Amino acid sequence: MADEIKSRQLQIVNQIGELVRIEAFLEELGDSWEFPLPLVMSLNLVLEEAVTNIVQYGYDDTAEHFIDLLFGLEGDRLTITLVDDGHEYDPTAREDPDIHLPAGERPIGGLGIFLIRKIMDTVVYQRKENKNYLILTKKIES
Amino acid sequence: MNLQVTPSGDVKIVRIDGRVDTINAGELEKPVLEMIEGGSNKIILDCSGLNYISSSGLRVFLVIQKRIMGTPGFFRLSNLQPSIREIFDISGFSTIFSVYADNDSALKG
Repeated sequence: MADEIKSRQLQIVNQIGELVRIEAFLEELGDSWEFPLPLVMSLNLVLEEAVTNIVQYGYDDTAEHFIDLLFGLEGDRLTITLVDDGHEYDPTAREDPDIHLPAGERPIGGLGIFLIRKIMDTVVYQRKENKNYLILTKKIES
Repeated sequence: MNLQVTPSGDVKIVRIDGRVDTINAGELEKPVLEMIEGGSNKIILDCSGLNYISSSGLRVFLVIQKRIMGTPGFFRLSNLQPSIREIFDISGFSTIFSVYADNDSALKG
């Protein structure tokens, strides 16, 4: 029998305050899809990093923009897709920071996309119809 | 996030409870940097109640560490929960901070 496919979505606007809604949404999703707590925390971290990047660097204007977060679970494979209409920006093109530098030489910042890559199994960027698609997948271990 | 400061000799033990994220990172950065400016440069951050940290929070830890490196004091972390420890490990932060199992060992250094 084919695995059941579950899907959910959340639409937010381009404001940092929306991170609170993401946290609440993930808690509820984690309950509903029976994710272990550390995974919910990791996913919260991944989405905070990705959404913060979009909100802080995606737009020049002061207009309200929508960011769509799409969640799909097929068997043990979780896919999260972020869709935004900000500037074309491929976070996967960024070089990883040197995590072996001592504190004095460590640049402040630049860790966000690195953490996303470390936590998720695959991170893919696509640009379609003037929108950014960041597609993240992770195998869920129960 | 909640901060509670307990002096132990000339060391300040700062217990942090809750989350440090993009929204509230300043609530940790500001009071701790003020503490350092006020001459308290021996700080232990008790992380037993810290249950979430993002790169904005890690950034504040790094800012505090860099600020204290210019003084004769120290910045030590204690009681990291396993999930937080994991974030420190993958970001390389475990090697740039002095991490202790508990406050007693952090006080001894």
